[in-house]
Amino acid sequence: MGLPSATLLAQSVLSGVFIGALYGLLGLGLSLSWGLLRQINLAHFALAFLGAYLCYQLAGAGVDPLLTLLIIVPAFFALGVALQWLFARFDISAFNSLLVTFGLTVIIEAAIQSIWTADFRRLESVYGNAKFKLGVLYIPVPELLTLLLALALSLAIWAALRFTDLGRAMRAAAEDGPIAAAFGVNQPALALLLSGVCAALAGVAGVCIALSYTLAPAQIYAWIGVVFAAVMMGGLGRALGPIVAGIVIGVSEAITMAVTAPSWAPLVSFSLLIVVLLARPGKVQ
Amino acid sequence: MMNAIRRIATGTLALVGLSLLAAGTSWSAPSGTPIRIGSTLALTGPLASTALVHQIVGQIYVEQVNKKDGLLGRPVEWIVKDDQSKPDLARTLYEQIITVDKVDLLMGPYATGAILSAMGVAQRYNKILIHHTFGIPSLAKYDAQFPTWSLGPDPATTFPNTLFDAVAALPKPPKTIAIVTSKFPSVHFMSLGAREVAKKRGLQEVIFLEWDFGNREFGPIAGRVKDAKPDLVWVGAIGLEGNQLLDAMKKIDYAPPLHFHMYPAPGPMVVAPEAKNALAATIFEEHPPFTNNPGAAEFVKLFNERATKAGLPYTGVETQAAASYSAWQVLDAAVTATKSLDDKVLADWLRKNRVDTIQGKLRFDGPSNYGDDLMRLKQVQNGRWVTVWPKSVAAPGATLMTN
Amino acid sequence: MRVFAAILLAGAALATLPLLGLPLFYESFLYLVFHWIILATSWNILSGYSGYFSFGHGAFFGAGMYTTATLASRFDVPFLWTLPAAALVAMLLGAGLGAVVFRAKQVRGELFALVTLAVTFVVGTIVLNTPIDGGPGVYLSGVPVPKIGPSAASSFYLMGLAAAVATIAIAWAIHRSRLGTGLFAIHDDEDVAEVLGVPTFGCKMAAFAVSCALAGLAGGIHALFVSYVTAGETFSITVPLTVVLMSVLGGTRHWAGPAVGATIITALLYAFTAGNHAVAGKAVFGAVLIAVILFMPGGVLGTLRARRPRKGALRAPSVLPAGGDASNEAEEVAVPSAATKSPAVARTKVILAAAGLSRSFSGVRALDCVDIEVREGEILGLLGPNGSGKSTFINLVSGHYKPDAGALQFEGRDLARLPAHRIARAGVARTYQIPRPFAHLTVLDNVALTAMFGGAALPRKEAVAEARRWLDFTGLADKADALPDDLNLHQRKFLELARALAARPRLLLLDEVLSGLTPGEINGAISLIRRIRDGGATIVFVEHVMRAVMALTDRIVVLDHGVVIAEGDASAVMQQSAVVTAFLGKAHA
Repeated sequence: MGLPSATLLAQSVLSGVFIGALYGLLGLGLSLSWGLLRQINLAHFALAFLGAYLCYQLAGAGVDPLLTLLIIVPAFFALGVALQWLFARFDISAFNSLLVTFGLTVIIEAAIQSIWTADFRRLESVYGNAKFKLGVLYIPVPELLTLLLALALSLAIWAALRFTDLGRAMRAAAEDGPIAAAFGVNQPALALLLSGVCAALAGVAGVCIALSYTLAPAQIYAWIGVVFAAVMMGGLGRALGPIVAGIVIGVSEAITMAVTAPSWAPLVSFSLLIVVLLARPGKVQ
Repeated sequence: MMNAIRRIATGTLALVGLSLLAAGTSWSAPSGTPIRIGSTLALTGPLASTALVHQIVGQIYVEQVNKKDGLLGRPVEWIVKDDQSKPDLARTLYEQIITVDKVDLLMGPYATGAILSAMGVAQRYNKILIHHTFGIPSLAKYDAQFPTWSLGPDPATTFPNTLFDAVAALPKPPKTIAIVTSKFPSVHFMSLGAREVAKKRGLQEVIFLEWDFGNREFGPIAGRVKDAKPDLVWVGAIGLEGNQLLDAMKKIDYAPPLHFHMYPAPGPMVVAPEAKNALAATIFEEHPPFTNNPGAAEFVKLFNERATKAGLPYTGVETQAAASYSAWQVLDAAVTATKSLDDKVLADWLRKNRVDTIQGKLRFDGPSNYGDDLMRLKQVQNGRWVTVWPKSVAAPGATLMTN
Repeated sequence: MRVFAAILLAGAALATLPLLGLPLFYESFLYLVFHWIILATSWNILSGYSGYFSFGHGAFFGAGMYTTATLASRFDVPFLWTLPAAALVAMLLGAGLGAVVFRAKQVRGELFALVTLAVTFVVGTIVLNTPIDGGPGVYLSGVPVPKIGPSAASSFYLMGLAAAVATIAIAWAIHRSRLGTGLFAIHDDEDVAEVLGVPTFGCKMAAFAVSCALAGLAGGIHALFVSYVTAGETFSITVPLTVVLMSVLGGTRHWAGPAVGATIITALLYAFTAGNHAVAGKAVFGAVLIAVILFMPGGVLGTLRARRPRKGALRAPSVLPAGGDASNEAEEVAVPSAATKSPAVARTKVILAAAGLSRSFSGVRALDCVDIEVREGEILGLLGPNGSGKSTFINLVSGHYKPDAGALQFEGRDLARLPAHRIARAGVARTYQIPRPFAHLTVLDNVALTAMFGGAALPRKEAVAEARRWLDFTGLADKADALPDDLNLHQRKFLELARALAARPRLLLLDEVLSGLTPGEINGAISLIRRIRDGGATIVFVEHVMRAVMALTDRIVVLDHGVVIAEGDASAVMQQSAVVTAFLGKAHA
């Protein structure tokens, strides 16, 4: 086995970046709700797939897949707000949220299966085959859209958390609720807003999934492991964390696959992750 | 007292008369306690997409048989439970089916893992197990299990030969091969077999890659296959993996000249533009000569209707549905021929006889009760699957195409 | 012990089930329940008790599964003999991981979950790509099921039952043991636990090893039950996710919680296997889960327990003897106060010696070459403005931090080299300026913990009696069964004190125990501290309340900017101009 060509390596890195961006996009909402709302929202994956199926359905009715965002984002925002209302109403703790959102996941999965059956669904759109060439590299449009969306959203949320009063209030509320409340931060309202944003992010991730992947209800669970890893590695509640960690995982796997047996790829990426965690004293968080 | 007796007598007479009348109008309606047949299917969980096909097939068969005179004149009742795609649950549910529901006969569940579990239970209770989707014949060690997915006892040798025979008959036969495979057990051993066979036949292996089942990243694999420039790509993929690899190839503007996929999900592959001329294995397709087999055309029509009604995106009959229907046909044939529900009697009969099914004649007298390897080669052509090899079963006018 | 007997009795009763002649399915089904009970309960021993949520249970379960599969199918080892090996391999895997991960302070909370999840994928990949599996899976058809019961199903049932009973008994025993108390303390505040004498590393290692060994055992049995082992099914997120859900549902703070959760979830999954409405059944399953946890937020057992009147014996993890003997022993401790100061201290030996002690925090020197000696039996006051290094000194002596340079000798032992819990064990106890009680332990257990793990190192039962004594001493006796959150600041300060005293320290470090108290409360505290010294302890006393300093200390040391600026008799030192400047200068700044 000779060395892989530079083109192959570069193309592989690119493909790692693309898939990493999707990990990051899926992880973004998860990380925010985990870090800032103390909710481990398993239902995030189910929401994303619900978004993907909605996108599939609407696109099937002739709507441009990207325009479905105009419907999905507000609808999911409302869904997220409703969810947070439920969480606040019952004062659900972090680990109980895991259980509640798992229950929700199962319900959403059942709903998806009864509406769209368990059989595979694939969105065929104008974007599916679109790609262009940059030098020797091929850039597929759906993946590029995912990357751009993931970057834009991560940066926007990062900036919002950092530079706006609302964002600062959110971080303060997450760090010390009672003190933030004493300074006049309306924590319940912020939580509703944030939960809405997280759900909307799931919807956006869903549209990206629909653009590139074939859908089946049980796929909901296929992403949990790697996205959880990206979220925890990136640091909870950090907007840029998941996408950076996601890309690190994606690229390290892609390079492994390009140079050695692809079936060893998880070993490389996850060993790398373990080493990084152990070698960086207290820094990852 | 006399009055009472008379009343009962007239009543009985009237009843007998009525039933005679009924028998006269539809003389074949089954009666008596139903014959209960039990199985599990992966109705939820990751295998649900395909298990649905088996559920529809089972329902079709049961309706068909009850519309005629049932089995041995008795109606058939099918008890199906959801094993949630978990082999350990399948095992326990089969125990429930046997020891609590006390069914008369068993039918196999969906997919290799669950069938192995069911086989162990069947063995302990000396029940025969006819199954439709078992992928690794060498693991079938129970003498009263009967496969209706006719892989033959050594598919890892016989099937690659079928494929290589087919491509060797091309005007420009391939000289080099890339073998890429998932490490999913039932496709992995086939891919390893293909390596051996390719080597024996002088096909030069330019690259061999394995990935972990559940892999999402196919870009680098596609890139490496492209760089290796093979004449033929063997994709040991199950479910969506083949589509994912083709999608990744499309993204780097690569279309392999010839590409074979082990067990693709038939629906997604037939509609994907990049899957043009994709090859796959099959035991049955919706065209002659298969549809000339007795009962096949009717089944295809019924299945198409039901699948459409159930909202399935792909409504065609191919390997899964055909193997499933064959399983019911085999069970029916054994019971009808022996007029018995005794597992031992049925097993003895099956080992000695050939059974007509929609995929052809099946026999169960080889190693692990496997008979002939009836796997054919099909190809995506003009948006549908057509059998292209061997020529005797090829769709009318269809020949093997290359990209 | 009654609980233990009850567990065994229940197990023995269940063991007769195969004799009832029920359809074998029930045994098979109950086996699955036991299987999940073992997995969830074993997970809870580390993760529920100590709060180290592991997402790696699949790796240990899988290690056991593959050990049995390999030994039984390739090396023809009799199945029952493979089970100890399965447990051992899983345990070694866990211990190896723990030895690395538990040393890294940063790997807590979700990062521990991340590492263990990653390990699952790493182990899975290795198994899949090496001859252990290699891809085709391992098939155990030729392995005979041991004839323990009348049928194969009953054999599995009995093996599952035995393992589940053993697991629950172990979980219960740990729950009420020193180890359990240590784990619950780690759950609430690991740093404080270590400083109070809990050997946190050892506790975590022990719990992890037991937890992994039991998971491996479950895997070993399950390998034969499913009889076909594949890497994809084994090393997935399913196992860890399921055990987490089961434990949370049942209640992670109770030894039986995971077993209850496992039973509920397995039974629910079973309730919805009818083929004609499988999908609807799934939705109902989800809805039931949500409903249960909404209305029982502490988990089933946690919530049920909370509804009963709160009694000491019912709160985790205390199992109390009747507290009759506590009061008369308390009198021994509360020696009538003797002289206000002990004039003889100057001649006693040095118990604690700091020489050239330095410590910086991100470039700021909190302590700079400090020499301090503490003599046996004295009360040394440590004074200085805020940020002068007093608390840093306490933190260094108690082992909360390690010094950057300098020597720190306590009775001839080099504290700089000892882990914090060994320092506590050697007889050093401390209070925290801002009280840091273990939030989920009762007041009594908070105090009993140091009696168990501090210098006294009492067995659990005596530790509880000792704790009651110190609660009496500090006036918290009637709060014994309360949670720290129910206390006011004054009581929390005294809880700190009681906790330090229960360790029977030879050196007691009091970090501003009086701040925030009313003058009346201070008077009480002063006499309390005197009584403590008269009981034989040496005290280092950090305080701003000058009245108390003057009344109590034999000697004072004044720190400013990390340097000792004065030392000697309290009234004399307070006259020195440097000291006045340090205090007033600071005050005016």
